[in-house]
Amino acid sequence: MVETNKASALRLGMLIFGALAVATAVEFLLALFAYVLPILVVIALIKAGLVMYYYMHINRLFEADPDPDQESFSYKLMTNRIGLWFFMLSDSFIFGGLLVSRFNLLGLTRPDVNQFTGLGVTSLLLISSFFANRAETAMVHGDRKQTTISLVVTILLGLLFLAGVIGIEWRIAPFRPADNVAGAIFYAMTGFHAFHVLTGITFLSIVLGNNLRMRYTSEKHWAVEAAVTYWHFIDVVWIIFYPALYLIGSVH
Amino acid sequence: MKHFFSIAVLILASTFAIHAGMIDLHLLPKQASLQAVSIDQLFAIYMWATAFVFSLIVVPLVYSLILYRRRKGETGDGAHITGNSTLEIAWTVVPLIAVIYLAYLGAQSLAEIRRIDQTAMVVKVIAGQWYFQFQYPDYGFSSPELHLPVNRQVDLQMTSNDVIHSFFVPEFRLKQDILPGRTTELRITPTSIGSYTVSCAQLCGANHAYMRATVKVDSQQDFDAWVASQKATAGQNPVLVGEQLAQQYGCAVCHSVDGSKGNGPTWKGLYQSQVSLTDGTKVTADQTYLLNSITNPNLQIVAGFSPNVMPQTYGQTLSKDQVSALLAYLESIK
Amino acid sequence: MKKLIPLGLIRGWVWQIIGTAFGVGLVTGIRVLMHLPPWKAEPSAVVGGLFGALFFIYGVGVFDDWILWASGRESPDHGDEMKLGWRRFFGPSNNHKTIGVQYLALSLLLFTIAGIFALIFRVKLAVPGSKLLTPTEYNTLMSLHGIVMIISVLIGISAFMNYVVPMLIGARDMVFPRLNAFSFWIAVPAGEILLSSLFMGGFDTGWTGYPPLSAQAPLGMQMFFLGVSLASFSSILSALNVLATVIRLRAKGMTPFRMPIFVWAAIATSIISLTATQLIGLSFQMVMLQRLLGMGFFDPIKGGNPILFQYLFWFYSHPAVYVFVLPGLGIISELLPVFVRKPLYGYKWVAMSSLAIALAGFLVWGHHMFAAGMAEYLRDPFMVSTLLVAVPTGVKFFSWVATIWRGKITFPTPMLFVLASILVFLLGGLSGPPNATVSTDLQLNNTYYIVGHFHDALYGGYVFPFFAAIYYWFPKMTGKRMSEKLGKLQFWLMVPSFTVMSLLMMRIGLLGMRRRVSDYDPALGFQADMMVMTIMSFLTALGVLVFFINLFLTLKRGEAATGNVWNSRSPEWLVPSPMPLHNYDQELEVVGEPYDYGLKDSPYVRFHGESEDGRNQ
Repeated sequence: MVETNKASALRLGMLIFGALAVATAVEFLLALFAYVLPILVVIALIKAGLVMYYYMHINRLFEADPDPDQESFSYKLMTNRIGLWFFMLSDSFIFGGLLVSRFNLLGLTRPDVNQFTGLGVTSLLLISSFFANRAETAMVHGDRKQTTISLVVTILLGLLFLAGVIGIEWRIAPFRPADNVAGAIFYAMTGFHAFHVLTGITFLSIVLGNNLRMRYTSEKHWAVEAAVTYWHFIDVVWIIFYPALYLIGSVH
Repeated sequence: MKHFFSIAVLILASTFAIHAGMIDLHLLPKQASLQAVSIDQLFAIYMWATAFVFSLIVVPLVYSLILYRRRKGETGDGAHITGNSTLEIAWTVVPLIAVIYLAYLGAQSLAEIRRIDQTAMVVKVIAGQWYFQFQYPDYGFSSPELHLPVNRQVDLQMTSNDVIHSFFVPEFRLKQDILPGRTTELRITPTSIGSYTVSCAQLCGANHAYMRATVKVDSQQDFDAWVASQKATAGQNPVLVGEQLAQQYGCAVCHSVDGSKGNGPTWKGLYQSQVSLTDGTKVTADQTYLLNSITNPNLQIVAGFSPNVMPQTYGQTLSKDQVSALLAYLESIK
Repeated sequence: MKKLIPLGLIRGWVWQIIGTAFGVGLVTGIRVLMHLPPWKAEPSAVVGGLFGALFFIYGVGVFDDWILWASGRESPDHGDEMKLGWRRFFGPSNNHKTIGVQYLALSLLLFTIAGIFALIFRVKLAVPGSKLLTPTEYNTLMSLHGIVMIISVLIGISAFMNYVVPMLIGARDMVFPRLNAFSFWIAVPAGEILLSSLFMGGFDTGWTGYPPLSAQAPLGMQMFFLGVSLASFSSILSALNVLATVIRLRAKGMTPFRMPIFVWAAIATSIISLTATQLIGLSFQMVMLQRLLGMGFFDPIKGGNPILFQYLFWFYSHPAVYVFVLPGLGIISELLPVFVRKPLYGYKWVAMSSLAIALAGFLVWGHHMFAAGMAEYLRDPFMVSTLLVAVPTGVKFFSWVATIWRGKITFPTPMLFVLASILVFLLGGLSGPPNATVSTDLQLNNTYYIVGHFHDALYGGYVFPFFAAIYYWFPKMTGKRMSEKLGKLQFWLMVPSFTVMSLLMMRIGLLGMRRRVSDYDPALGFQADMMVMTIMSFLTALGVLVFFINLFLTLKRGEAATGNVWNSRSPEWLVPSPMPLHNYDQELEVVGEPYDYGLKDSPYVRFHGESEDGRNQ
């Protein structure tokens, strides 16, 4: 069952990434040349939906338990999934609060930030989600080697994202955090998000280490699924934050 | 069912008794504004509603506790009744209708108290730690007391010099927070001549409890006379101006002029006296010292007092002329 | 270190000292690298406090299993922790009953401390012009009374949900036992840090912490913000555990409408705690950032908006009050049938009413801001949504009365406290609607009326149900029964005195007496009321003291009570007391309705099969 589907699973991952890449290109160009706010919102929601369905497998939450025995592995696996999603649900309220703050403070204006670095870091994160998905898919099909490679690439891209945001964007921004409210909210939103990226990288690294110790199998690899799902969650947050900070509104 | 009849009678009796008791207690202060009228009408409805709902729950409850208590030697359980859909729907829908009606009354009342009178007099309210200042832009003076002519709407345009404060006069039934960096509005039409107190109703720091000012509602003639006298004394003898400012800005809350102890050093005989500071040194309270005490208070703290109690903002909020007037006044207190 | 210092709590404190020093060192080091003067109190205190807390829970041993898993190793079987005796309460336990007791102890400790703060300032307030406390001391004690009470309530709620929910649904434990231990232990340094604000200049903003005042308040303010942020994680993760447990570990045959009603209350409470709590953390962290880094979210000079803080803060803090009361209301519904021997009337509607209150509670936060200066058009909608919450609340009251009607009623101590809860929560609920309609609220907001209203709601919705629950489940927890005599004494000391105090609060509030004032003008004529309120508060405190005496005497030499003391149908009473280590040795199946008192041959649960051997957690 498993081997014949691996190729198609990997293909699906690539297809979804393609769709995300196209959507990102479209929202970038629209924002710059043909600004229509509702479309930007819709694109962000579509991107988020794609990641949540195809990469995070949110549909699994609603599947019936294959084994009703509460002590069985599959039952506990589903319990763990529910726990992780509750965690992400809770976490999303922080980001929701920051988003509300951004619109309350800046209205339909936006911070004067660099579009190219913005697109750049966004692309890094999207590509990293592609590789994270690849890592999980490989694991499902028992390919530890591919899992390792894909995890390494994901982590590297995550580190590059942090370098891009903290190393570059925070330096070149035309305001300091304490200057004005645009500065405050920009650094707060990117800062809270970057902290989550850091924890995600840490989690992925731990999983990478354990994979090298051959702790996971195609049947039992909850930690891989969890770390990758959490990574995708961080990506979804950025899918919303990116247009909110870079694309929506006019510069002061 | 005789029980339901008895309970109904008791509920009615209880409702009237509790309501009568509430009225007897005179739970609301004197009504002194036009806006208070609709508010008090709504309170009156609440008194009936509260008395009734309280009785509706407590009477059957107590009745049951007495009637159905387990007597000595009684075994067995209560009646096996799990519910009644009709009743449950009824006690969901009826309260729903009641609260929707209350919401309607509430919206009406709110619209009533926010009614705008185009001929309203504008008074600017400046709040700060821990004072109120009332400016009359129509007449060109400011005062630490709020004087209002009866039966005329006043449009209070309020802003804060530092933290969030609030304007509250219980007899007017109105309250509005005062924010820094923006103007909030409150419209009041006083209807009863007399003297009232406006207190700050938003915790604003150490001396929040003492942040009060006098509100005087006068007849039109008395109000006009007061305006005339205020205009006359504005901008005269700097010592008098300084004295007024010291009142307006609440300095007297902490600094006495008769030598008694307060949160801040007394001003009696301060000028040119020797002052011991917390760092052990002794300095002369010359004009520079006094100036620094107002505009840069943490620079030199008198021994026995603490930093950060004196507000730090006077340097920004007072004009040069105002500071000079204050200095003149301070120097005059022997 | 485990061999050197066997007690987790002591290890935790040792590591807390190390962590605090590390945090301070980190800040100092970064400042040196940035060519700034090395020492600055505020960032050092915040970072020191944060690392102190994290190292504390590491030291206790909360992270041990997770660290093993992260390095690819197996964690040990935690075996029978009962071998540790009393020491198990001072270390990282994975057993929900042990953790429940830990939460309970912490909750009672914080409740007592916060209560003492209140007694102190009530003495000052009894006499206008009293110099017992300076204004800032008063403001600090008053603020700490508020927040420490709130934290004690949240922790008390975690105590009950953790102890009782697995028993009620027929489970061995919670789904995430280690997370449970984390949730408890993070609350300990959170409480310490909160209380440390007393020694760091205090703070004068009330527990609501509004900027700009909180942005310029003394250092104690940061300890308040940090303490609450840490405590919020306890609340959030505890809720996560409860929700997942109820979804996944119900016994066979326990369909949603065959769960004990308290479980519905726990679900509704946890939905709120899981989600909304993040907003108080965020709003406080934003003020912390404004203070530490000058980020002007709420500073008008930098374009910030002080009202934004209030929106974020109240978006949690209103639903929070439903977190405070929904479990207690669930306890009332759970206990009434037992003492009136009659089904809970309209069980399904009562269950749904908890959910309805929770969901509606998310839509009303603006009613705390009617006078705040928010946009005018927002006031009416919040009024409407607020009034609507009365409907599901009313459903509960009517159901309680209908449950009692035609019952067979006895009045042991738990029942007395349940009745007190109903009466006092009724006062709390009835005093609500005048706050909901905007125009009347303009009179009442920020006065003692509000203080009376929420104290009624809190005592009726939490404090009295909390005591009812302790008296009720104490035999299950310990195999002993608390003294009825002392219990009734506590009841008669607490209930009338508290009720009188709350009514007086509402009276002077209606007449215009402001809240949060350290002093007041005797000319207002409230001196007598304030004096009586102070006396009442001491009587209430005396009642609490009687409770503690009862508790200690019972633990020492209480009357044994190992069977089904209350003749309850609920499954936990069908096994011996104290509750066995893993609750039910035999599998449990639900075969009937939970509250079919009065119906012959209608068991709720049946036990099946052989005993399992003690499985690992």
